[in-house]
Amino acid sequence: MNTRFMSSRLVAATGLWAILWFAPLRLALERDMAVHMIVQLPLLACVGYLLAVALRRHEPHWIAQGDWLGIPGLLLVIFATSFWMLPRMLDAALADPLIDLVKFLSLPLLVGLPLGLSWRRMPLLGRAFVWANFIPKLGAIGGLYLAAPTRLCAYYRLDQQAVAGWALIAVAVALGATWFVVVFVGWPAADGEAAQTCRAPQEAA
Amino acid sequence: MTMAATATRSAISPRAAVLAYLAVSGIVLLLMMLLGLTMRLAQAQWINVQPDFFYVVMTMHGAGMVGIAGLSGAAVMWHFVRRHVPVSTAIFLTNLVFFLIGAVLILGAGFIGGFGAGWTFLFPLPAHSGSLWSPNAAASYLVGLMVIGVGFLLLHLDIARGILSVYGGLGAALGVKQAFGLAPEKDGPPPAVTASTMVLIVNILGILFGAAVLVVSLVNLYVPSFTFSALVAKNMIYFFGHVFINATIYMAVIAVYEILPVYTHRKWKTNWAFYLAWVLSTVFVLTVYTHHLLMDFAMPTWALVAGQLISWLSGLPVLLVTAFGTLTIVYRSGLKWNPAAALVFLGVAGWSIGVIPAIADGTIAVNSVMHNTQWVPGHFHTYLLLGMIAMVIGFMTYLTNPQPRYGFAWLGFWLYLGGGIIFVLAFLLAGSESVPRRYAVHVAKWLPYDRMGSVGAALAITGVLILVARFFAGMRAAAYAEDPT
Ligand code: HEM
Repeated sequence: MNTRFMSSRLVAATGLWAILWFAPLRLALERDMAVHMIVQLPLLACVGYLLAVALRRHEPHWIAQGDWLGIPGLLLVIFATSFWMLPRMLDAALADPLIDLVKFLSLPLLVGLPLGLSWRRMPLLGRAFVWANFIPKLGAIGGLYLAAPTRLCAYYRLDQQAVAGWALIAVAVALGATWFVVVFVGWPAADGEAAQTCRAPQEAA
Repeated sequence: MTMAATATRSAISPRAAVLAYLAVSGIVLLLMMLLGLTMRLAQAQWINVQPDFFYVVMTMHGAGMVGIAGLSGAAVMWHFVRRHVPVSTAIFLTNLVFFLIGAVLILGAGFIGGFGAGWTFLFPLPAHSGSLWSPNAAASYLVGLMVIGVGFLLLHLDIARGILSVYGGLGAALGVKQAFGLAPEKDGPPPAVTASTMVLIVNILGILFGAAVLVVSLVNLYVPSFTFSALVAKNMIYFFGHVFINATIYMAVIAVYEILPVYTHRKWKTNWAFYLAWVLSTVFVLTVYTHHLLMDFAMPTWALVAGQLISWLSGLPVLLVTAFGTLTIVYRSGLKWNPAAALVFLGVAGWSIGVIPAIADGTIAVNSVMHNTQWVPGHFHTYLLLGMIAMVIGFMTYLTNPQPRYGFAWLGFWLYLGGGIIFVLAFLLAGSESVPRRYAVHVAKWLPYDRMGSVGAALAITGVLILVARFFAGMRAAAYAEDPT
């Protein structure tokens, strides 16, 4: 990876971050519950992911060593995303710009960045397991938003909550369908994995 | 990422791991059969069981049997598929550990917590116990299922990884090209790979839906104001439950494809029809569950009509190619019958015969009379007890089969078969008289069927006990032996 590549990723990451923080866009994205959850939060995670791509080469050795099979990193991602899935935290981010700033820092640094670093370390089985848990849970959360008897966020209306619920279900279905098509049709072997495993069919024990 | 980097070496050999699965399966199978006998004896009024406890027993029997069918089926599938693709013994054993943890939670929910909502945990029943069980007991049951689901998910994903690493895509491993004449039949995947691919496609999807509905049910237990659409939940539960129990047969049938060729010294023929059957059944198994909802008037009519049509077709493709293949491989092969070959052969017969009353029941006009009668346990016990389980016991006998002293095993075989036939006939006869299923207390008119069923069950259990005991006797030697070829 050359320095030009690295700096272009860094520029892209910080640029995206700055644009998202830019008040009119920030407020526009946060006005609607579904957009807040399904557009703004993932884009913030994207910022961190881009950072990871840019800085991967300079990752301290002790992090790469300690992040066994990418599991600690992924756990961090899961805890941080779960935190921002709490309706109360979305409310707090809307009510207090300081909390919104925390959100703007934590999603890139505690979600996107560790995801970008740890995902590659995770074995294929682990990645598949994460996807297989993420997809149905996303759908179930969408279902719960629809089933909730009251508003879960003080700042969003009941109809916005329902739209968010359906949107989560739609994302889950779309991800599930894509995943299915990819494994059904197949994809070119990554990292020469297929070649490696074909040579030693019985060795995985 | 290389395989070497990801694979954790297991201290236990793959063969010993398969035997461990079968040992657990044998013990749990016998225990669950005794619970089944308890129910029959109670319905026959030969013993006294309180109705609330009857439902605990019914729930534990249902969940335990479905679980053990999954576990033993997985052992068959894994044993044979690993001849063709790389799989991890550590993950295989992890599934066994998850299964045992889940089983403890489920048994605790039933026998300590009194949970008796049926293995299908239909929403919102777990939360409406009429104070027979607490939300914690129901949660223990649901979490137990989830833990077992996690184990199976890992196992299926690992097999999928192995299959993808060799075949590139699940479509290729299923033999889609061969099915439609786009590639030569001789280049098609081996039967064990095709069957495993079908199983993991349907089971992974089933488990994903199961996990979602379990989460929702758990939330409803503790926050009852979160009410989910009961019809959607029922669809999801039956999708998951039907797929899972169906898949156990498709896993066990691999034993037929692999064991009969050994004794007949012929190859199992895989032609385009074989692959097409598996492709079609993959689609049908995913869509057929709607026949459980034929009496749900709130379901859209098109879904019910589709459910009826697919029910007629669903099992048939694979069943037909398997039954036909079994007959042709055995016919004039000079096969010298031994208990292992006889058991897998019985498995195909039990499956084929059991499907006939099932297809009848998948017809709306019949279902409106037979729905929830003992006709239903009549047909599913035929293809599970005398079909799926016969294939598994055949596999157990095959692995521990080297010595030609079969006398004891034949005794077990005939007791199991004879008793099993009496037992399932008792259900079918009672069903045709409209005796309802899932009734703890039976009226006097129904007792003859219950008593007939009890006698049949006792004989069948004795037979299985002999066959399982024989497996345990041969297990040590089998751990170091090779498969019979
Ligand atoms: C000798 C062996 C067995 C006996 C005595 C037995 C007995 C019974 C009885 C009495 C019932 C309740 C019938 C009713 O609704 O009135 C039942 C239900 C059931 N059995 Fe078995 N059974 C045996 C083997 C099996 C096997 C091998 C399987 C599966 C692999 C199985 C799976 C089930 C299931 C899923 C139910 C439904 C439970 C429910 O309605 O919630 N059984 N069995």
